[in-house]
Amino acid sequence: MSIFQEISEKLQKGRAKDVSALVEQALNDGIAPQDILNEAMVVGMNAIGEKFRTGEIYVPEVLIAARAMNAGLKVLKPALTSAGVEPIGKAVICTVKGDMHDIGKNLVKMMIEGKGIECIDLGVNVEPSAVVNAVKESGATVVCLSALLTTTMNGQKDVIDALIEAGIRDSVKVMIGGAPVTQSFADEIGADAYTMDAASAAEVARSFMLN
Amino acid sequence: MTNRERAMALLHYQPADRLPAVHFGYWPELVTEWAEAGKIPKDLAGRWYDGGEIDRELDKLIGWDFNWYHTTGSNNGLSPRFEHKVLEVLPDGTKRVQNGDGVIEKISPGVVSIPAEDDYLLKDREAFETLYRPKMQYFEGRVNKAYYESFNENVYDKSDIPIGLHLGSVIGEIRNMTSVIGMSYLMYDEDEELFADIVDSYADMQYRCAEEILKTGAKFDFAHYWEDICFNSGPLLSPELFDELCARHYKRRNDLCRKYGIDLISLDCDGVTEKLLPTWFENGVNVMFPIEIGTWGDQFEAARNRFGKEMRGVGGMDKTCLRLDRAAVDRELERMRRLASLGGFIPCPDHRLMPGTKFELVQYYAEEIKKIKI
Repeated sequence: MSIFQEISEKLQKGRAKDVSALVEQALNDGIAPQDILNEAMVVGMNAIGEKFRTGEIYVPEVLIAARAMNAGLKVLKPALTSAGVEPIGKAVICTVKGDMHDIGKNLVKMMIEGKGIECIDLGVNVEPSAVVNAVKESGATVVCLSALLTTTMNGQKDVIDALIEAGIRDSVKVMIGGAPVTQSFADEIGADAYTMDAASAAEVARSFMLN
Repeated sequence: MTNRERAMALLHYQPADRLPAVHFGYWPELVTEWAEAGKIPKDLAGRWYDGGEIDRELDKLIGWDFNWYHTTGSNNGLSPRFEHKVLEVLPDGTKRVQNGDGVIEKISPGVVSIPAEDDYLLKDREAFETLYRPKMQYFEGRVNKAYYESFNENVYDKSDIPIGLHLGSVIGEIRNMTSVIGMSYLMYDEDEELFADIVDSYADMQYRCAEEILKTGAKFDFAHYWEDICFNSGPLLSPELFDELCARHYKRRNDLCRKYGIDLISLDCDGVTEKLLPTWFENGVNVMFPIEIGTWGDQFEAARNRFGKEMRGVGGMDKTCLRLDRAAVDRELERMRRLASLGGFIPCPDHRLMPGTKFELVQYYAEEIKKIKI
């Protein structure tokens, strides 16, 4: 088994310590950091995303895989920076104003990062103006908005309105998700995409950035 | 027929004079909203809880027969609970608060929301052994035996409505102690036995509590669990792992209930429950509640088709129609008539009524559902 396969498999099993050690070993063996990222870790997270999307695995398995991914990235990031490797794009992500929940948002963030996208995480209970500012400052081309409650999902529309008012709506794709959110709600508020799970969200964000 | 006779007849596929008008309470914000709009007296705002005085006052004003969530039980949680304390106040006024389960929540000023978990204490074997296991032990004070020894005479026989024995929770309350993320990490901890140890310890204590109550001879119409272990896409853990961890505890507790004559075992789980139904059903749970069709698309009819008549339901009424108009309520009433005709099913709003629910539509629903005869 190649070291890429080994990293990918340990990542999918959520073995954070093993992933860190293997990434370090790969770097010591002179393997290019972008190859470790793309051929091992992104491959592992893609597999996790697909298994989650098809119902083969559940939230805990995604969370422990993401924890392992982060452990590996921690080792890999300095090498990626030194090698001048750029992310494929930037996304701003948050849970909207009035809502304090971040599990879904964090899952999406982990999966998006697993696609080689830089994620600017604004946290929870975020004002629409903060999203506008983050987009302007970072040059992000995708905005991901989460809401858990029927009482807070309208906050996603408030962000879209704020992006329109700031004159930058056309420069970003707005993706929404969260337990009470539906495709019809996305259509109603003028979002560019609704996805029902984190893996699909990451795939759609990636496709927005590549197209 | 009394409310109890009617409800029990329906769940046992026996004739009843009509459907009962039952509900599952309100988000407190709605009660305040109604009070501020003058729909209900102002003094009813702010102190609502299931089966309480205000709940019963609202039943009269609206026309409900009763709140289904009428259970009694024991002190079968962590005991003593962790001290509730503010750990930190952040610059924006957000408080980091340790709750009674040992979970640290973030509570922001002006944000009306279910608290969000920020951190938790139950992270490893040491935390379990030193902080949690001692709080999961059975002791005499957990069950008020004097109360249950006179329960039939003082409470059960005087009640017009069904009364349930609250059995606690096999995994939902563990999730409350760890947060979803913490539960996930613990399940895959290097100490492979840890999560199962936590589940087993808590379950043993709750079994004992139920046993001590039942040994007094107290009567109940049903027994009940709270779990809330599913969300919009399904369970928060794999059905296989859920079965491995939890099945034996449901069976043991449900067998105990049946030994004492309780043949209806209900379970409260929000979200899409479909994938966990086999474990519950095969281990003795036979009434699903509240069957959230409106928000998540959970289905009673599918469960009935899959498991047959032993699978019963209370709930399944899309509460969101109560924010719309009479035509929407009429459509839902018609759907309820059809589901109730299957037998073993009592319509009830599929969760607490939320802000924006129209008082007059709730009155209308309560009036109309009582006109349906099965």
